[in-house]
Amino acid sequence: MRRYACQRLALGVVQLALLAVLVFLLTSLLPGDAADVRNNEDAGAEQVAALREQLRLDRPPLERFTDWASGIVTGDLGTSLVSGGPVLDILTETVGTTLVLAAVTLAVVVPLAVTLGIACGLREGGLLDRSVTSVTLALNAVPDFVLALLLVTGLSLRLGWLPATWVGVGAADLLVRPGLLVLPVTVVAARMVCLLSRQVRAGMVTVLQAGYVAQARRLGVPRRTLLLRHVLPNAAVPGIQELARVGDNLVGGVLIVEAVFAIPGVATALVRAVEARDVPTVQGLALVVAAAALLFSLAADLFSHRLVPRTEVLR
Amino acid sequence: MTPLVTVRGLTARAGGAVLLDAVDFDLYEGRVTALVGPSGSGKTTAALSLLGEAGPGVRLSGRITADGVTAVDANGVSAWAASLPGRVIAYMPQHPGSALNPARRTGAVLAELARLHRPDAAPATAVSEALRSAQLPPGRDTERRFPHQFSGGQRQRVALAQTLVCRPRVLVLDEPSTGLDTVARMRLAEELAALVRGGLALLLLSHDLDLVRALADQVVVLRRGRVVASGSPAEALPARPGVTGVRHTPHDSGRPPVLEVRGLSAHLHSRGRGPVLHDVDLHLPAGACVGVAGLSGSGKTTLARCVAGLHERRRGQVLLDGVALPVLRRRTTEQKRRVQYVWQEVRASFDERHTVVEQVARTAVRLRGLSSGEARAEALRLLGRLGLDGATAERRAAALSGGELQRTALARAVIAAPDVLVCDEITTALDPAATEAVLAELGRLREEHGTALLWVSHDLELLAAVAHHVVVVDGGHVVETGAPEQVLRAPRAALTRRLVRAIRLGTALTATDLTAPSATRS
Amino acid sequence: MKLMERPGARPGHGRIPLAVAPLGSVLVALPLGVAVLGPLFAESPAAGVSAPYATSDARYPLGTDGLGRDVLALLLHGGRSALGMALGAVAIAYLVGGLVGLLAASARRRWADELLIRPLDVLLPLPTLLVISVVAVGWRGSPLAIALAVAAVNVPPVARLVRGAALDAASSPVTEAMRLQGESRIRVQLDHIARSVITPVAADIGTRITLAVFLVGSANFLGLGLNPTAPDWAVSIARGREGLLLQPWAVLAPAAMLVMFTVGLNLLADRLLGRSRRTREDVR
Repeated sequence: MRRYACQRLALGVVQLALLAVLVFLLTSLLPGDAADVRNNEDAGAEQVAALREQLRLDRPPLERFTDWASGIVTGDLGTSLVSGGPVLDILTETVGTTLVLAAVTLAVVVPLAVTLGIACGLREGGLLDRSVTSVTLALNAVPDFVLALLLVTGLSLRLGWLPATWVGVGAADLLVRPGLLVLPVTVVAARMVCLLSRQVRAGMVTVLQAGYVAQARRLGVPRRTLLLRHVLPNAAVPGIQELARVGDNLVGGVLIVEAVFAIPGVATALVRAVEARDVPTVQGLALVVAAAALLFSLAADLFSHRLVPRTEVLR
Repeated sequence: MTPLVTVRGLTARAGGAVLLDAVDFDLYEGRVTALVGPSGSGKTTAALSLLGEAGPGVRLSGRITADGVTAVDANGVSAWAASLPGRVIAYMPQHPGSALNPARRTGAVLAELARLHRPDAAPATAVSEALRSAQLPPGRDTERRFPHQFSGGQRQRVALAQTLVCRPRVLVLDEPSTGLDTVARMRLAEELAALVRGGLALLLLSHDLDLVRALADQVVVLRRGRVVASGSPAEALPARPGVTGVRHTPHDSGRPPVLEVRGLSAHLHSRGRGPVLHDVDLHLPAGACVGVAGLSGSGKTTLARCVAGLHERRRGQVLLDGVALPVLRRRTTEQKRRVQYVWQEVRASFDERHTVVEQVARTAVRLRGLSSGEARAEALRLLGRLGLDGATAERRAAALSGGELQRTALARAVIAAPDVLVCDEITTALDPAATEAVLAELGRLREEHGTALLWVSHDLELLAAVAHHVVVVDGGHVVETGAPEQVLRAPRAALTRRLVRAIRLGTALTATDLTAPSATRS
Repeated sequence: MKLMERPGARPGHGRIPLAVAPLGSVLVALPLGVAVLGPLFAESPAAGVSAPYATSDARYPLGTDGLGRDVLALLLHGGRSALGMALGAVAIAYLVGGLVGLLAASARRRWADELLIRPLDVLLPLPTLLVISVVAVGWRGSPLAIALAVAAVNVPPVARLVRGAALDAASSPVTEAMRLQGESRIRVQLDHIARSVITPVAADIGTRITLAVFLVGSANFLGLGLNPTAPDWAVSIARGREGLLLQPWAVLAPAAMLVMFTVGLNLLADRLLGRSRRTREDVR
C-alpha cells in the first residue's frame, strides 16, 4: 500500500508540473500578448512598449516561466491585469462559494448513487432496475446547461419556488438561505449520479456472479455479512474509479452552473478572466482548479487501491 | 457403520430436461466416494444439491439427509438445508483461484469463517490449524497476504484452508486435479488421503480415473444424470488402459539430425532478465521422437516456443538441417511449413468468426499452395481420421469440446506435412480412444513424411511409450537425458525420480500406500 | 437466498426493455438532417427582421430572438457548428488517438510503447472544460481552435482504448496460430486485430460524440467558443435565456435538437455495448 501510494503521489506531482507547463504554454505564447489587450487600439505603440516592460513581458519565455513557477511555489499566483491586485485575492474571495457548491454536490451524489446502484444491482432486471436505468440513460443525455435552463424556467420563473440567481448573494447568506443551493446542486449532481450509479450497479452485478461470492455463500456466510464484507468492497471499485473520472464532470458542471445562476465563484472569475484575456488570473485559477481535480482523482485512486490492492498506478 | 450423508432417488429437472435421474449414494466418515463421469453428466448438480443448492429453474426431488438434517425431500430443498453449508458440508469448486476474494486478506476471511462455524474455538488457533492442514505455513506472513500474492498452486491450498477452517464433516472436491502436473497431482492425492484419515468424509467429483482409483473407496459412475455403475473402483471402473503407442525411432541413425538445438538460453524480459532456459542442447533425427519432461513452470513450454520461433528473447541456435532458424517472423514459407507447433491451451487459438475446418484448411493454402477446395477436402479427411465428423468440422470453436479442439489444433499443424512437429501436452483433454487416434495419425505422419516429433509433457508414462529419447528439464536446466527404459528404470535426478514415482498414482497405488510419509515432498 | 436467485442472469440483459434501435436512429437522424440540410431551406438569419422576442406568427413560426432574428432560421443554420465541431473533434481524436494506440500496441520495444502512451496517461485527469477555457484565452471565436481542443482532450482516452483492444488481440493465441500458418502480416492485422478493435471502438464512439457535443455546447454556452451572435444551437440557448419567459422557443427548439441527438446516440451505443457483451459471453 505504501509503495503504491508513493508511486501514485509521484505521478500526481509529475502531472501537476506538466500541467503548469501546459497552462503557461497555452496562455503565454499567444498571438498578441496581454499588453496589446489591456491597451486598446487608441493606445500608442510607445505605451504598449512601456506596459510590456512594466509587465516584464519582453523577457524570454523560459525566464518568465521560471519566475511564474517559483512564484507559485511560494504561494504567489501573480498579479491580475484587470484589477491590478494579486490573483490570490481573487481566489480567496471566490473559493469559499465554489467549495461549498462542490462539497454539497459530492455529499448528495455519493450516497445517492451508491444506494441506487446497489438497489438496482441486487435485483438486476427488476422493475426498479429497469426504471432507474431508463431514467439515468435519458438524463445522462441532457446537457448541463439545458437542464439548468429547464429547471430555472420551471421551478423558479414559472412556479417561483426557488431562487433563480445568486445576484447580490454573499457566501454568508448560504447558511440562511439553503434554497439557493438546491437548483445548482441538482444540475451538477444529475449527470454525476447517472454515471456513478451505473458503475456501481455494473460492479454489483459482476461481483454477485463472481466465484468467490458463490463460494462464501456455500461456506455458510449469512446474507448480511456476504453483502457487507464480500460483495461491497469489490463492487465499489468501478464506482470509485468512476468517481476519479467524474471530477471532470464536477468541474464542468460547476463552470456551467456558476454561469447560469450568476454564482460568484472561482469558475465565474475564470470565465470573466478569459473574456478579459487577463492571462495571469487565468493561469493562476486554471492551475488551482486543475490541481483540485488531480487531488480528487488521486484520493479516489488511493481509496480504490485500499479496497482492492491489485489496481496498478497506470493501466 | 452408519452413513453421514445418504442420497436416495435424487432427481433434478429443469423444464422438460432431466439432469439427474434417481441417483443413490452414501458418504461415510473417513471414506472417499467418487462421482465419475464426463462433463455434463450431472456430477456438479448432484454435489451442489447436498448443500441444498439448485441452479436457476432446476427442481430437486428425492431425499438427502446429512448429519441428521433433511436437505432435500420430495418437495425440493427443505428449510433446514441452510444450516448445512460450511458447518457440515464444504464445497471446493473446480477453479479454486476464482473462489478467493481479491479484496480480502487470507487471515481475515479464515477468521470470519472460524467465528461463524466454530464459536467455541479461538479464531487464531482455528486459522493456524486450517492453514497447517492445507499445507500452508501458518503465521502473520500468510495471513496478511491477498490472494494475488500467492502462486497458482498455493491459491488452491488457500481455498482448501477456507473449507477446512469451517471444520466440515464432508468435503466435496470438484475436479481437484485440473491443471496439475503429475507430481503436483500425486502430492494432492497424498494430502487428501491424510485428511480422510483424520475422519473427513470426501466426495470426489472427477473424470481423472487415476486419481479416483488411487483415492476412492466407493465409485458412482454417472452418465447423462443416471447411475450406470457403482461399487469399488475395481468393480465400477474399466481396467486402466496402458498407453500403447508406436515408438518413434530414427529412420536412419547415421544421418545428421533434422533439428538441432545448440546452447539455447531464453529469458522473459529484455537484456537477459528473467531467465527461463539455460544452455539446452537437443538432437532430433528424422522420424524420431524426443520427449521433454518437466513440471509446470520448468521451461519446457518456452523450449517448444523457441523452436517454433514464437519466443523471441533467446540466445543460442536452432538448426534445421544444419541451417540456423530465425524467429518466426523472419522464417521463409518453406521453413514455416517444415516446423509446426501444437500447444496446450487451444481454445483461445481459434478465431470465432470462422468454422474450424476453414481454419485448418488455411494452413494447407498458405504453406503448401493448395487451392482452397483441395485444402478443405484434405482437412475434412484429416479431421475424420482424428474422429471428428463433417458436421463437427463445420462448427465454430465455441461449439466444440476441449478434446475436439485439441485434435483440431493438431490437424491445423499436421496438414502442413511438417518435418518437425512440436507437441505441447496435446493429449491432456483426450479420452483413451481419441488418444489412440492421435497416436495413429502421428505414426502415419512419420511413415509418409518422416516427421520428427518434439513432444513436451509432464506425463513420463506417455513419453516413455512414444519417445526414443527423453530429456528431463528442471528450472530451465536439462537434468537428465537418456533412453526411456533407462530413465524409468534408474532415474538419476531428483525430479526424474518424482516424475517416475508419480506414474504409480495410476497403476499400483492404493490409498494405504499414500499414507506412507513421503521422502520427496519439497 | 434472494441474493443469488439468478446466477445465470447476464449483465446486459434487462438494460433497456424497449425496442430502442429504431427510436434511437430516428432521434439521431432528425437533428443530423436539420444540421446538414437546414441551411438549404432558410436564408442566413439576419438581425432586426422583426421586433425582438416576437411570438410565433405565420411568417416566423417559432418567433424571433433578442436580436429580432428568425428562430427557425437560426435553428436550421445552427446545427452545422453545434454537431460539426463535435463530430470533427471526435474524428480527429480517433485519427490521432487511434494511430498512437495502434503504434503503441504494435511497438516491439517496451520503451517505445511507454514513450507513446505515458505522456497521454499523465494528461488523462485534466478537466476538459478547463482546458478549453485556457485555450479560449487566445483563440476565442475560432471554431477550429475549439474543435482541436475538444479533440485533444479526447486523444488520451481513445489511445488507451485502442491500444488495450489491439494489445489483447495481438497477444492472443489466434494471432500466433495465424502466424504459424504462414498468414501474411497484413492479413493478421486486418482480419484479426482490426476486427477485434472495431467492436469496442464502435461502442465508444457513441458516448464520445455525446461528450463532445456537450463539451462544444458548454464552451459555446459559456461564451468561450463562437462569438455571441453566431447561429449555433448552444449560443442560441445562451442568448435566449434572457427572454426565456417571453419567447421560450428560442431556447427550447435548439435544446430539443441537442437532447434528441444525444439521447438517440446513447440509446444506440447502449444497445451496441449490450450486443457486443452478449457475443463475447456466447463465445466463452
